[in-house]
Amino acid sequence: MSDKVIIEIRDLVKVYKGSEEPAIKGISLDIFQGEIFGLLGPNGAGKTTTISILCGLFRPNSGSVFIDGLDIHSNLNKIKHIIGVVPQDVALYPTLTAWENLTFFGNMYGLKGGRLKEKIAEGLHVFGLEKHAEKKIANCSGGIKRRINLIAGLLHNPKVIFLDEPTVGIDVQSRVVILDYLKELNQKGTTVIYTSHYMEEAEKLCTRVAIIDRGKVISMGNPRELVAEHPEFKDLENIFLHLTGKDLRD
Amino acid sequence: MFKYFSACRKESLILIRDLAGLVMLFIMPMIMVMILALVQEQGWSSLSKDPSIPVLLVDEDHDTLGAKIQEGLKSSNIFKIYTNLEGKPLTREVAKALIAKGTYNIAVIIPRESTRIIRHKVQVMVTQIVSGIMMPVDNPFLDIQSNDSINISIYFDPGIKGTFKYAFMASMKEYSMFIESTMIFSSFNTELKKMFPQYRPPKSDYKESVFFTEIFPAGKDEKAVPSTTQHNVPAWALFAMFFIVIPMTGSMIKERDEGSMIRINTMPVSYFTIFMAKVSVYAVVCIIQFILMVLAGRYILPLANIPALTIGSNYFGILLMMIVSSLAALGFAIAVGTVARTHQQAAAFGVVSVVVLTALGGLWVPVYLMPEVMRSIALWSPLNWAHVAFIDLFLRQATIVDVLPQICKLLIFFAVMISIALFYRKINSPLNS
Repeated sequence: MSDKVIIEIRDLVKVYKGSEEPAIKGISLDIFQGEIFGLLGPNGAGKTTTISILCGLFRPNSGSVFIDGLDIHSNLNKIKHIIGVVPQDVALYPTLTAWENLTFFGNMYGLKGGRLKEKIAEGLHVFGLEKHAEKKIANCSGGIKRRINLIAGLLHNPKVIFLDEPTVGIDVQSRVVILDYLKELNQKGTTVIYTSHYMEEAEKLCTRVAIIDRGKVISMGNPRELVAEHPEFKDLENIFLHLTGKDLRD
Repeated sequence: MFKYFSACRKESLILIRDLAGLVMLFIMPMIMVMILALVQEQGWSSLSKDPSIPVLLVDEDHDTLGAKIQEGLKSSNIFKIYTNLEGKPLTREVAKALIAKGTYNIAVIIPRESTRIIRHKVQVMVTQIVSGIMMPVDNPFLDIQSNDSINISIYFDPGIKGTFKYAFMASMKEYSMFIESTMIFSSFNTELKKMFPQYRPPKSDYKESVFFTEIFPAGKDEKAVPSTTQHNVPAWALFAMFFIVIPMTGSMIKERDEGSMIRINTMPVSYFTIFMAKVSVYAVVCIIQFILMVLAGRYILPLANIPALTIGSNYFGILLMMIVSSLAALGFAIAVGTVARTHQQAAAFGVVSVVVLTALGGLWVPVYLMPEVMRSIALWSPLNWAHVAFIDLFLRQATIVDVLPQICKLLIFFAVMISIALFYRKINSPLNS
């Protein structure tokens, strides 16, 4: 992890059309290059909204975002070249094969020819999917779809990768493979920003986490340091429950 | 540019993977055009070979007029005449009741004394003329007046088509005019014979001397004859082409619902590139669809004794019109697909609007038969522009310059639709949600 701030978020506010309550209320964060940064929070806390703003899907009502020194408002297209996004839901074409999906999404990032083939083959190999390359997505299991969904966001070696709950609903084996690969990517210099509901996973993986609730950052820091600061709560999950409460969320 | 080609490849693969859907896109319009051509063309031709429209004839006259009208209706080969039902002669009341019940569509009542009244009127007129020649002054016959007239009642089923009713009335007027003129001619002969015993009337009846020849000016090809095929094939081919709104909007909404569009929105590629790829691939579908329907019109319909479609010789013009019409249809589909939030919205609006544009465009009822207001509105239907251009190319040997106004209008329509889609997307972008 370097000292260089790769993502600078200042006073970010987002109010959805037709909603009176802001989804995020003045979030400010600095994320450093080479970090694995976890955005944690209960349902409806504002994690996905924050990530969606960072990858250019939503425009904030106020506040600023700079990624690698570029203002997201005026340089969105340049930013799209340096970020990779893995959406929460599987965003692939069900009637196309894994290879065809990856070729199309790779092309959209500007990759082509031998280099793209190499990247797809590498991605499929890393995630143990070589034999599923020619299988239609509609015929793949949930775990395979998740892994292909992940590869599609990583083909162009992005500087920053955003993952929205990448390990939700998959088996332990797939989860381990995905997390190991994220660590490997991070070691190569990629900044990883991800959201999760799995506190144990975040505690092991992240260099820093921000706990968000009701649109605000309520705690931030290295997971181990947070646990050390609150010795009465043994682990991140208990700190999380202490900070966000045990009430059920929508 | 390669992003565009890659998107084209992706669209093609998605289409090809749904082979059954693709086959339906090509086969169903062909079946539609063949069935509609059969229903319309074969329907009328079979009428002329096998009279099947029943007409009740109540002849209270029992003289020349009744007999001649019956003869005229029979000779048209369209009507089957009933003067008796269940062994009993028809009466005015029975005929009226049967029409009211909807059992029959038309009843003609020729009133009592009709022939006598006409004959008397003609005799008075002829006598006046002839006596005027003999006694130019102090002629007592000149004071004779006959303003009698007869009223043939025709009962129509209220559900009968207006155009058919007008055609029937025109035929009836033609028969009565012919009968009156025959009587005038015969009366003249009789009066002249009375005055000039040496006069020898012509052996044969008066025969009409005015005939009509149908000529359809069509540039170099004067033989081009309009037929229902000539109207139906381009009309239904365009209708099917605009129905691309259903699969196209389906594909767009599915892409949004499945999340692929969210991923694309995070990638360095413009929405314009993505939907232009969609337009290109679906344009090929539209063109193949149109070609298949034209081929059906040329080679399959004649197998059912329906006139073959004439397509003229301006193949480049036809190809250009196919491309431009496809673009107009796809521009419309893109606009609907962008604005609609769900499949239901897109399907309901898409289907109804295409049907309305088709009806307004004169593809079902020719524009010249529409009321004045509708005729003005028809000029704003892209289906009308395309249909007019295809008819010109097929029948009038039109050049590209001749159909240039229609080409320009269709291209402007495409540009306007795409602009609406882009503008709507801009103001309703997820970015601003």
